Amino acid sequence: MSIYFDNSATTKPLPEVARLVYETLSGEESFGNPGSLHRLGVLAEKDLNESTSKIARLLSCKPEELFFTSCGSESVNTSILGYMHQNPRAGKKIISTKTEHKASLESLERLASEGYEVCYIPVGSDGKPDLPALEEAIDANTALLTFTHVNNESGSILPLDKIVEIRNKKNRNAKIHLDCVQSLGKLPIALSRMGVDMASFSGHKIHALKGFGLLYIRSGVRVQPLILGGGQQKGMRSGTQSPYLASAFALALEKAYENIDENLEKMTALRDGFVEKLQKFRVHVLSPEDALPYVLNVSFPSFQSETMLHCLEEKEIYVSTVSACSSKSKKVSYVLSEMGIRREIAANAVRFSFCRFNTLEEVDQVIDAIALIYEKYEV
Amino acid sequence: MSNAYRTIILARMGEIALKGLNRGKFERQLMDNMRWRLKEYGAFSIVQSQSRIWIEPKDSNPDVLEDKENAEQVLRAVTQVFGLVSASLVRRFSGDMEDIKEQAKCLTDDILAEHDYKTFKVESKRGNKRFPLASPEICVDVGEAILIAHPELTVDVHEPDFTIYVEVREDLYVYSEKVEGHRGLPVGTAGKGMLLLSGGIDSPVAGYMMASRGMQLEAIYFHSYPYTSERALEKVKDLARIVSQYSGTILLHVCNFTDIQLNLYKNSPQDMLTITMRRVMFEIAEELANKQGCKCLITGESLGQVASQTIEAIQITNEVVKTMPVFRPLIGLDKEETCNISRRIGAFETSILPYEDCCTVFVAKHPKTHPQKKHIMEAEANLDIPALVKQGVEGIETYKIERTSKA
Repeated sequence: MSIYFDNSATTKPLPEVARLVYETLSGEESFGNPGSLHRLGVLAEKDLNESTSKIARLLSCKPEELFFTSCGSESVNTSILGYMHQNPRAGKKIISTKTEHKASLESLERLASEGYEVCYIPVGSDGKPDLPALEEAIDANTALLTFTHVNNESGSILPLDKIVEIRNKKNRNAKIHLDCVQSLGKLPIALSRMGVDMASFSGHKIHALKGFGLLYIRSGVRVQPLILGGGQQKGMRSGTQSPYLASAFALALEKAYENIDENLEKMTALRDGFVEKLQKFRVHVLSPEDALPYVLNVSFPSFQSETMLHCLEEKEIYVSTVSACSSKSKKVSYVLSEMGIRREIAANAVRFSFCRFNTLEEVDQVIDAIALIYEKYEV
Repeated sequence: MSNAYRTIILARMGEIALKGLNRGKFERQLMDNMRWRLKEYGAFSIVQSQSRIWIEPKDSNPDVLEDKENAEQVLRAVTQVFGLVSASLVRRFSGDMEDIKEQAKCLTDDILAEHDYKTFKVESKRGNKRFPLASPEICVDVGEAILIAHPELTVDVHEPDFTIYVEVREDLYVYSEKVEGHRGLPVGTAGKGMLLLSGGIDSPVAGYMMASRGMQLEAIYFHSYPYTSERALEKVKDLARIVSQYSGTILLHVCNFTDIQLNLYKNSPQDMLTITMRRVMFEIAEELANKQGCKCLITGESLGQVASQTIEAIQITNEVVKTMPVFRPLIGLDKEETCNISRRIGAFETSILPYEDCCTVFVAKHPKTHPQKKHIMEAEANLDIPALVKQGVEGIETYKIERTSKA
């Protein structure tokens, strides 16, 4: 049996999700366009509305604050570009960090090239933004703060409460966009009580399907749409909606929330056990101690990232690395570099990312596999 | 009337025309190769007349060349067959001088729709001596007709922007553009070689160059999974597929090299590792080449490019090959020239994909650049080379790479 420790890249859809999608797609009357005036359209719209309500309830927001997109990146792009473009008088400054996902960084680059001022706050070795620097950076011209709730490479958790507090103190009008792609279903998220104005989510990271993203825009916040067309979703995001992707997402989210606290405890035990057993390989644990336990970044001495990845792959264990190497250039993760991790350590970094279905037995099997890898392939 | 023509292809032979008594052998091979290369586009009649080859769709697919995009693809395929200097899409029709003028005008219309040309000239050849006008007269008449239709053009017989060619044979022909071929000699006229193929820029070019001299190719790739990824192997297959557009089907032999490499790493000195590794690779390649009936090895080495390509290093790897020559067509080329060929044959973008190899762990920081006999004796003292070679040859998996296969 293979072991999948790459859940931050994508997850296996739940069997319930697969069944629901199959039934919806093979039903005689369940394929309608929610915009159609006839009965099939009405059925599809009803289905869609039910999903929206369920998601809103789970995320503690209003249904009309939610918009369905095609992926997390689209949600992030829409939030960052759309807010800045729609509100030219809110200010020209955006604050972020250099450890964001590329969906954010590329949007920020675009804005910088359009003349906006993008201010990157440094992060510490724990991956968290430097709060005094943030406090200093927020001024009257600051329109938007955009941060990642949980970093996809290190698992660092954003000190959101403190950031909201600083924002409230310095400039209440500055909006916050939160990239929740990695935290959804793992940390409790109650949008109406978090102090954020926009948030982005993705379906396939929570055992739903690829091709579905979610965008939260708090009531009263105005954002320019990215996709234009038939005016679906109140014109915020045109394009025919997919009721089955939405209901798959709603179902997966519901399942994730069922035991969210127990799962977090279980994953903490799993991660801690893994870290303890990894010590015999003299590894460097690169994820901060207080990181989300679902993500563990580890550097293996004497194994370049990609070599370790393929060694594990050979044993049907799937993990990730962002450090691709070639004989000519060695690219290391920009996230790890920003955290101040030395190049030669970052070059050997491997990311293990878990889901609630992973077990301690799997951890033991991976440890055994790593022992064999060291025996055979260490050079 | 203006559409009453049929598009065919005219290709011109190069070096073959200079051959003596065995010219027929080269020509037959060229025709075979063209038939093989055009197979995927349908059936064609391919007829040779002196140093030219006329390619015409058979009745089973009469319209294959009438669609412009399609025709250009077929033309491109023709130019990729070694042995041709150029090829053109030609309009064939029948009639008299009025028809020639009309077709020449139409062709000019089509050319001007795509290009901002200002000057032209007309060239003509009269094979059918019963035709009432002589070549210079044909040129003048056709030129006049074009000038009347396009008064904005002027004639420039020395450096025209485009040329309209007219040929009068049994039928009548007009055409304009000559697309350059890849020249060389038809593959299959110079035996078979074993190419040492890596994922880089050089070795596919080396294979292409030897194929252009008529050589059929097989290739060997040394795979070091998990130090190199599955993607690296896929990339090598892609490169072989690109070369096979020119060379024809390539048998790609993938040698599982991981254990051999680890053995070398553990039992020979660091600074000689690249050399001992290459010596073992050459021996494996030679043994396989003999087994497969290949008459030489082909590498992408270029003098002085890296530490293992100094004259001393080349000599010391070369000497393990006892039964055949090692051809190094890039030996005197500048890297930039190699890159240009790589771009021209469409391999460059694939060659520079990043995951070429992760076995930098096996590359010494300071490899010996001027190894001597005594160094290699020491380096190999603890190695059972024949056993390693045997292990390599036995661990080979072979793939048949054809330009259309997606294996």
